[in-house]
Amino acid sequence: MTSNAQVSRLLALVPYLRQAGAADLAKTAEQFSVSQDQLIKDLNVLWFCGLPQGLPDDLIEVDQDALEQGEIRLSNADFLSRPMRFTPDEAMSLLVALEAVAELADPGSAAAVCSAVGKLSKAQGQSVQVIATAFAGSADIRESLLAAIARKSVVRLTYDAQATSTTSFPEVEPVKLITRDGFAYLQAWSLERAAWRTYRLDRIAAVADTGRDAEERGAPERFDSGWLESRPAAVEVEIEVSPQARWIAEYYPVRSVERSEQGWVVRLLVADPRWLNGLLLRLGDQVLRVSPQAALTAARQIALDTLAGYEVG
Amino acid sequence: MAARKSERIMNLAICLLMASRFLPKREIREAIEQYREIASDQSFDKMFERDKEELRQLGVPVLTGSNDVWHPEDIGYRISREDYELAPIDFDAAELAVLGIASQVWDTATQADQAKTALAKLRAAGAEPDPGRLAALTPSIGGKEEAFAPMWQAVLRRIPVEFGYHGKQRRLQPWVITHRLGAWYVYGFDLDAGEPRIYRLTRVESQVRFVGEPGSFPPQVVDSAELAARIEPAKPDAQAILAIRDHRAPVLRRRSEPVAAQAPAGFSAHRVEYASLGDFVGEVCAQGPDVIVLDPPELRQRVIDHLRRFAEAL
Repeated sequence: MTSNAQVSRLLALVPYLRQAGAADLAKTAEQFSVSQDQLIKDLNVLWFCGLPQGLPDDLIEVDQDALEQGEIRLSNADFLSRPMRFTPDEAMSLLVALEAVAELADPGSAAAVCSAVGKLSKAQGQSVQVIATAFAGSADIRESLLAAIARKSVVRLTYDAQATSTTSFPEVEPVKLITRDGFAYLQAWSLERAAWRTYRLDRIAAVADTGRDAEERGAPERFDSGWLESRPAAVEVEIEVSPQARWIAEYYPVRSVERSEQGWVVRLLVADPRWLNGLLLRLGDQVLRVSPQAALTAARQIALDTLAGYEVG
Repeated sequence: MAARKSERIMNLAICLLMASRFLPKREIREAIEQYREIASDQSFDKMFERDKEELRQLGVPVLTGSNDVWHPEDIGYRISREDYELAPIDFDAAELAVLGIASQVWDTATQADQAKTALAKLRAAGAEPDPGRLAALTPSIGGKEEAFAPMWQAVLRRIPVEFGYHGKQRRLQPWVITHRLGAWYVYGFDLDAGEPRIYRLTRVESQVRFVGEPGSFPPQVVDSAELAARIEPAKPDAQAILAIRDHRAPVLRRRSEPVAAQAPAGFSAHRVEYASLGDFVGEVCAQGPDVIVLDPPELRQRVIDHLRRFAEAL
């Protein structure tokens, strides 16, 4: 722990504790992203801080009895009544996070992001940049889903599945909206599958309320960057592509991407072979090699079937 | 040791914040116990200079100046409270909700801590961010790309950078770093092209090198509409008539409208708008035998060629 980071934290901690009156030790540690031990070390530094001259009455006081009960009470710190302005890094980190919220939120909340950013800039005394963001899927869909999550109700989705090339109407209990690897998803309990499922937001064409209440399902499974790894049916496929097709490595969650003599070797997990067919057909002759080879043979056969449709038409 | 140093710098900050005039170094030395304890003038000078510099690095506006117009060489120091303090902010419930989510967005530890500190400051200023009904939102952004950390610093500190991109070396004054659904972009003035350019961080091929001093170029106000337009996919500028197999290819069907044109049995004809600069051929081919291009003939031919090359090349 550098003293630099500690001073920065102390300058925010003092007005925070003054404002709180009595603050919970554990909660305060969490909000400043430090351990409780570190927070107590911070408080020990404050004992020796205060007005120049350093007379006992001039120094900050921390109530030791309260602290033993897990509560922080601070006095004699009127000279640090307000926090310091954001550093540029803090401001940029907060703003980018707010943009990500706006991307996924309902229109009302997106407007709240804009007005909050306006107020932050004003308090900061300088204008901060915020980028207008595009939204994930339609705003109506996101709003209906957030409302269903709040009501805890079962909804019927109209879902255009890419892999199967069909529309399905799953009944689900929505719990979360998530972004991962460049896409926004709904996480929900599927009644049909009796399991947690994720649905791409931009593939949900409609949300209808069934009027039924959702049941308690406990916490949804984690949907982090390795989520596909947990799919039992997922198999690893290795595709070598020409340099122009490098984009697939940033568009889809991949296990690895390496340069090869002719282009790139991308290894990815495939849960549904029909999805892989679509990808290979899309890439066309930018595909140089696929392992297992059978995946490529299947996709080529589909290309031939498709060409047959053109000869007839 | 670190605790002693934190203590000293905190006391220096409080002392300078309380000063109503520029305090000469000599007075600061007398006022703060840890400085009084130092016997040698030289050691004190060195320590004071370092401490003052550390405060500035933290963003504390330590001003240097003189109280005496006749003796401008008699300099002292103070912190302007007005420039130091975060002004009061009054957030409404909707704003507090979005701020409440914002602390959980970052996957990257460094930025997560920065965003959390910013929120702790807001709490210190009396605001109570609380996700409320937005708790169901879990946007997540990370900076997995190798180029992310150096580019973030370069934007923050206004340092020109050099990096490889599409097989070429680029030199850029990076103005803004931004993301769309988790994909990072850097936008700035390309020194070789002589105009603003945008680059996607995942496509940066080499290490990002700093090629200048911090503050090398002035802060730039970026037109957010123009930036968004550079990130957005190309707008539709062409139309195609497609035969879509019944009940299939819902994504294409959804953005189309039925038209009265001849289609094979089991298919119906649809008009779809597309961007000629985008990958519409690839999108159509991905549908396999569920979609056949009827018109325009050039698009039809390109799809046939694409499929032939794929089926025959291997």
